[in-house]
Order: sequence, then structure tokens, then C-alpha cells
Amino acid sequence: MLDFGVRFALTVSQIGVVMVAVLLTVAALTLLERKVLSWMQDRMGPMEVGPYGILQPVADGLKLFFKEDIIPAGANRVMFMMAPVLSLVPALIGFAVIPFGPNWTVEIFDVEFKPFIISDINIGILYILAFTSIGAYGIILGGWSSNSKYSLLGGLRAAAQLISYELNVGLSIVGVLLLTGSLSMVAITEAQAGGFWNWYFFAFPFPQAIAFGVFIISAVAETNRVPFDLPEAESELVAGFFTEYSGMRFAFFFLAEYANMILVSCVATVLFFGGWQAPFTFLQGTGSFMWVSGIFWFAFKVSAFLFFFFWIRATLPRLRYDQLMRFGWKVLLPIAIGNIVLTAIFAYIFPGS
Amino acid sequence: MHPVLETLQQQFPIIIQSVNEDPQRHELSAQVERGGWGDVAQFLHDDPAMAFDHMTDICSVDYPDDFERFEIIYHFLSLPHGTRIRLKVRVTEDDPSLASICHIWAGANFLEREVFDLMGIRFTGHPDLRRILMPEDYDEGYPLRKDFPAEGKGWRSQMDFIPRLDEPVSEWSADEIPSDQRHQFMAGDSPDESKRTTEMLLNMGPQHPSTHGVLRVVLELDGERVTKAVPDLGYLHRGVEKLAEGLNYMQILPHTDRLDYVCAMTNNYAYVRAVEKLVGITIPERAEYVRTIVAEMQRIVGHLFWLGTQALDIGAMTVFFFTFREREVLLDMFEKLCGARLTLNYFRFGGVDSDLTPEIIASLKEFLNTFSAHIEEYDTLLKENRIWLARTKGVAVISGEDAINFGLTGPSLRGSGVAYDIRKLEPYGMYDKVEWEVPLGKAGDTYDRYWIRVEEMRQSARIIEQCLEQIPEGPIIAEDAKVIPPPKPDVMRDMQSLIHHFIIFTQGFKPPKGETYCATEVPKGELGFFLISDGSPRPYRMKIRSPSFVHMGAFDHMARGYLISDIITIFGTYDIVMGECDR
Repeated sequence: MLDFGVRFALTVSQIGVVMVAVLLTVAALTLLERKVLSWMQDRMGPMEVGPYGILQPVADGLKLFFKEDIIPAGANRVMFMMAPVLSLVPALIGFAVIPFGPNWTVEIFDVEFKPFIISDINIGILYILAFTSIGAYGIILGGWSSNSKYSLLGGLRAAAQLISYELNVGLSIVGVLLLTGSLSMVAITEAQAGGFWNWYFFAFPFPQAIAFGVFIISAVAETNRVPFDLPEAESELVAGFFTEYSGMRFAFFFLAEYANMILVSCVATVLFFGGWQAPFTFLQGTGSFMWVSGIFWFAFKVSAFLFFFFWIRATLPRLRYDQLMRFGWKVLLPIAIGNIVLTAIFAYIFPGS
Repeated sequence: MHPVLETLQQQFPIIIQSVNEDPQRHELSAQVERGGWGDVAQFLHDDPAMAFDHMTDICSVDYPDDFERFEIIYHFLSLPHGTRIRLKVRVTEDDPSLASICHIWAGANFLEREVFDLMGIRFTGHPDLRRILMPEDYDEGYPLRKDFPAEGKGWRSQMDFIPRLDEPVSEWSADEIPSDQRHQFMAGDSPDESKRTTEMLLNMGPQHPSTHGVLRVVLELDGERVTKAVPDLGYLHRGVEKLAEGLNYMQILPHTDRLDYVCAMTNNYAYVRAVEKLVGITIPERAEYVRTIVAEMQRIVGHLFWLGTQALDIGAMTVFFFTFREREVLLDMFEKLCGARLTLNYFRFGGVDSDLTPEIIASLKEFLNTFSAHIEEYDTLLKENRIWLARTKGVAVISGEDAINFGLTGPSLRGSGVAYDIRKLEPYGMYDKVEWEVPLGKAGDTYDRYWIRVEEMRQSARIIEQCLEQIPEGPIIAEDAKVIPPPKPDVMRDMQSLIHHFIIFTQGFKPPKGETYCATEVPKGELGFFLISDGSPRPYRMKIRSPSFVHMGAFDHMARGYLISDIITIFGTYDIVMGECDR
């Protein structure tokens, strides 16, 4: 019984730490995105709240928290209230299987405890894919239940887009799984140890660079970011599926989008760029220092991806709906399948490498 | 006599009641008998010697004392021959109807609706004769008739069609478009009617992030594909034409700023030119140079504004900030020049308000030095961007013939390869003294219109550079004591000047009796002012030919068959400003 109590307390505190870290990162991201975009666009961005506007997320949060919560006439109330939750929870739940640092085990009161991963399940990546798919329900239901034509169109676009690009995400990572032979996020990270040439982006026998390209494009589409932000295309559909949302419900969709961005950045880091591994072993550090450098490298890689998200937002116009579909099915899908075939062939020729 | 008038008289000896050639203003006009109007119109369009293929404007005038009370005035332009003609038809109050010419010039559709709306003339054979600027259920009469008071009828809050605050909120209804009105927004029978199960009417605007103001378009959708697009105008209708009838010529000038509020300079220019043509004033050379320079600066500002918003609509947000950065520099110069940034009110009859200072000239030169590099910067973001190409190439294609038939002007017409630029065809200002080219598109799609506007900015920069080199010293305003207010120091010392000043500012100057149409190339297209003077200090009738309004007439034609995302692109590609469209 003590055993269970300790395990429960440890897990809950670990979840708490990860959730707080993720939500703080989201808050920071909302500011950083605006700042990075402003610098790219020759302006200053938020400057009023706090020095250099660093308290802007707090102000935004307070504003959204105190806003009137409007449910439009004719909306399906249950669905309308459920949709933001259904969107946010799957985005946050995915972090349970992300290894943020070395796969250590410590014993506390005779309980085995892994400090840098909440749950090392052996189907980690499958778990993430499954839950991000559920996130699509939030968007579709939000669009449908609002009783607004713009929302409906946004929701329908989201449905089509998420299904198409979910497929590409799934297929693009098959190459990595073939090379590793495991679905566990920890196993995938550890298979890439020993320098950057072992990361799957570069790795022998078949570098997964093409797969990474497919993955990152599809990931942008899955997180509804420019140039694939059709479900919320602000110049066409006002705000797309969350046109009718206000206050905290709106904030939930917003949080979900940013949490999803962090999640796909984490997944990209783990699958293609060695997770917490440093590019050279001597940078990794030894002994108890290893976890500091591990978390540093992990955060560094994730930040690079997040910056990439901001960068393309500042650069690219939005695709059109039919172009998006054509691109997903006629370009990305064949590439992803071709990558699986080639990887399989190379993995067969060079077994065990 | 002009051969066009001669042919007309020979062809229709009875129907053409009289012809007139204005020797001073080089304008042709003819009075047409109402019964034969349809035949004359057809002849004007079809006969190769006439070839009046471009419908410029339709104006209506009310003469309450005459037996044939209403006069409908048509302006046509022959692009092959470069001649303009004005045809007038009179109708009586008892039977204010006239044959529609929509089937000959598609652009007449909206213009006839406007005449019907504001003057109450019924056009027989018009496919969709509804009110266009006023609310559809407006039953207070026809605002432009002379018996309609210029100050309006009662308070706005008491009009029936405006919901009142002290009344209970109307109940929520399932559809924003009542079922009895739905048919107006639906496409007609199509061959595959049987396959369609249900259609969706999407009410886009008047509150929408990218309709460029308060424009409402009702889209009939088949999935995301548009089967019919019905623009609903008039949300920004302020009745400038009616207001002008109660103001003297000088007082109208600030109102023109508010037409196309992003390009106030060129609006001023168009109006001032029309009045000068009516009165007959010659402008000092330096003033002409200054006018040309500021008009081209305004063109750059207008196109920068357009480029930024068009890119933002398509999703490229960075371009918006880059273009607005340059626009800001030019607006600062305007501010130094005349104290205002948007509603400039800089032009005066006979010249301009203030002279270019060396400081402004220096900063303008500095701007021009870096401007081409800035255009390159926009190009790096857009010109070869594959998503931008995919979003603009082959979108909203309109052929040259259709574009002429709909009466498009400006970059929208030149994008389809029709070389019609008033600055070349009827040079004014200093456009014939400097070297520049008219960029022409080929495909008539959104990309061509984008390319043309970017190219026009380069040409405008060229024009400004040459003008700055050539600009002579001299006065910036003409001397004509009866029309132009004398300089302030003279007013204080000289009795004669004081009297003129007093007369001009208390009564306004009195132009001779007559009428004139004057077209100016503004960034959006052809902005024309048609003035009728009865010899009093106020215009008897002022008609504004606004390019945005005419362009909206072609919206349905261009939007059919495209996706919702393209509708946004099409809004942008016209470069419409609702202040000018609704007037």
C-alpha cells in the first residue's frame, strides 16, 4: 500500500511539473511568437505591458479569463462546451511519453522511478498519434456546434485536412520505426546515441531526411499553422472553427494550438534528432551533469523547431483548400510511401546496423 | 462637325434631335429621342466607325420645371478611336422608363440600378432592377430628385428601416436571409439541378475582416465552390452627389478626400481638373509639375496599400508591414506638405495649396533612391513564391473583351491586356513631358494585375524623378481674381482683392452655364467627375464615376466557379475602397 502511495505521489508530482512547464512554455510562446514575427517584420511587437512587453501573456490571460462567455443562440450547448476541452486535453496528454532527459531509474522508498519521463510505455509514438487524432474532434465539434456558417466551413476544412495529414505523419515515421524496431520513445532516443551522425535524420543505412521533410510539413498542417491554417483562415472564415468562441473557451483552443506545436516539436526532436542526446558525446557531460545537458539539448532542439514554425508564418502565404488536399495526397503521400519502401530495402541489406 | 456626330445624324435623322460639339472642351454630345434609344445604343456599339465599346457612366438629372422632367446622360468611350461621346435622353415624370442597355454593355447593369435607385427611372428589360445604394425597403422616394430635401427627411434614428434601440431585440431566426429574399441570391437553373440536394447561402460581410470596408456579398455555395455571388452595396452611402448640390464648388473639395480615403490626392486632382475644365483656367507650369509629382506619390501610396492588404488577405502577413513602412515615409512627406496624412485637401482650383520645400524634395529623392530596392524586397517574398503563384495565377481571369464590356478601368483593365491609360490617351499634368510606359498584362488573372501594380510603382517613381529634374521655378497657383482667392497679404491691403476674396468666400464663384466630363487616372482606375452648371455658385448636378463601383459590377462574373478563398483574392484584386464605391 505504501508502495502504491509513493508511486501515486511521485507520478502526480511529475505530471504537475510537466504540465506547469508546458503551460508556461505556451505562455512564453504566445509572447515569443509575436516578438519574433515583429522582428522579422521590422516592428517592435508588444511593448506596453512590463519591460519590453514580457508581461503580455499575463495580461492576455487575465483579459481572456474575465471576458464574457458567450454561447450563441441555436448552438448545441453540450457540444459547444465540450469542444475546447476535447481539443486541449489530447494536446497535453501526449507529453506523458516524451523523454525529456536520460533514461535513468532512481529508487525512492523502494519504488522504481524514472525522473525524465512520465510513462515509458512501449507504444509511445502510437499513443501520441492516437491522441492527436482525437484532438481533431474538438475542432470539428467546435465548428459544427457553433451554428455559424463560417465555423461550419472551418470545421469541415479541419476534418478533411487533419485526416489527410494525419496519414502522412503516420507514414513518415514508419522509416524510423523500421530502423529502431520499437515504438517506445525511450528506445528510439537511445538508438540514436553517440553523436549526431547517428541521429535518424543522418543515420546509416538510410537517412530519414526525406521522411523528416514530410513529417514537418504534415506537422505544420496538423497544428493548423500558416501556410496550412485553413480551418481558421482569418481573412476568409473570420476565425474559422472558433469564430463564435470567447473568453476561456477561446483560450482553450489557443492553448491547444500552442501545446500541439510544442508536442510535434518534441516528437520531431525525439524521432529524427536524437532527443536529449548532444551532437557530440563530449558535449553530453558525464555523471550527474548528464541530465542538465540532456534537458538543455532537448529544449534547444525543440526551440529550434518552434522558431521554424514562427519563421514560416512570417514568410509564406496561405494555401488554398484544393491545393492543400492535392499537395497532401498527391505529393506527400507518395513520398512517404517511397521512403518506407527504400528504408525497408536498406534495412534488409544492412541488418543490425 | 465631328464625323461621329455627322454619321449619327445621317443614320438616325429623326431620333437624333440635336448634336453639339463643344469647341472649348472638345466634347461631343447628342440629344436622342427616347423611343429610338435602343437602336442608337446598338449602333454605337456595333458600327466599326463608332465602336463605342466602353461604357463610362450613366448619369441622371432632374429638371422639375420641364415637361420631360428627367434627363439620362450616357457617357461612352471608343477605345479603338479614342473618342468620348455623351448621349442624352429625356423621359417624362408620368412614365419614367427607358430601354435598358445591359445586354449591350454588361457594365450598365449596376449603373442603371443606381439611376433607378436615386432618380426612379425604370429601365425596361433590366434583369435585376433593385435598389443598390439605398436600403432595399426604402420608400421615402428617390433622393437625387430635386424635390427631395438636401438635408434629408427626418432623423436617422426614426427611419423605419433602422432598428431602434428602445425596441425589443428581434427574435433569433434560423437564417440570416429571409426565405422570400433567397431567390435573389441563388443562381438560375443549371443543367445538373437534379443532382443538387441543398445549397448554402453564405452572408459575407458587411462585418468581415477582408471585405475592405463595409461590403456585403451573398455567396451561393456548392461545397466551397461559389455558384453565384451577389454584392450588396450602399453601407457607406453618404450621398456625396446630393450634398454637392447644396455646396459651392470650393466646399465640395474636402468631400472628395473622403471618396477613396486612401488616395485623397488623386481624388482632389480629378475634381479640381473637372472644375478647371468647366471654368477654363490655365495652370502655371510649376503647379502642374507639383500636381503630377504628388499624384504619382499618391499612386505609389495607393498601390503599396493595395499590395499589403492583398498579400495579407492571401496570408503573407510580412509584406503588409513592409509596404506600410514605405507608405509611412510618403505620408510623412504629405504631412509636411499640407499638414494632413489621409484627407489631404491639397489641391486648389488653379494650382496647389503649398509649394514643395527643398526639404521635402530632398527626402523625396532619398526615398526614390531606396524605393526600387524595397520593391525588390517585396518581390523576394512574393514574385517567385510558389504558394503566391498558385494562389494568384489563373484566379479571377477576365478576358480583354469582357473587361471592356464591363467597363473596367485602370490596372484591372490593363491586366487583361487593354492599353487604356488616361495619362497616355488624354495626357494631363506633365505626363506627356516625361518618359514612362504603361505595363500591360496578358492573361487577365490576379497575378497579372499584381505584376502591373508593382510595375506601375516603378513607373511612378520614374515619373517623379524626371519631374523633380525638370521642375521650374514659378507661381504655384494661377491668377484669376474671379475664381481663385487672391493671396492673403493682398487681401489685407488691396481693396480689389478684398472684394474678390469676400465674394468667393461668401457666395462662391460662378462658372459659366454648361456641362463637362473629366476623367482622371487614379490608382484604382478612371475617376470621372461630370458637372452640370446652371451658372450659379453651386453645381446643378455632380456625378462621380467611381471605378470601384463599376468594378463591383463585374464581381459576379469573375467570382463564379471559384472557391471561397479566391473570393478574398478577388475582393483584393480590384482594389476596391467602399468610400468611393458607395459615395
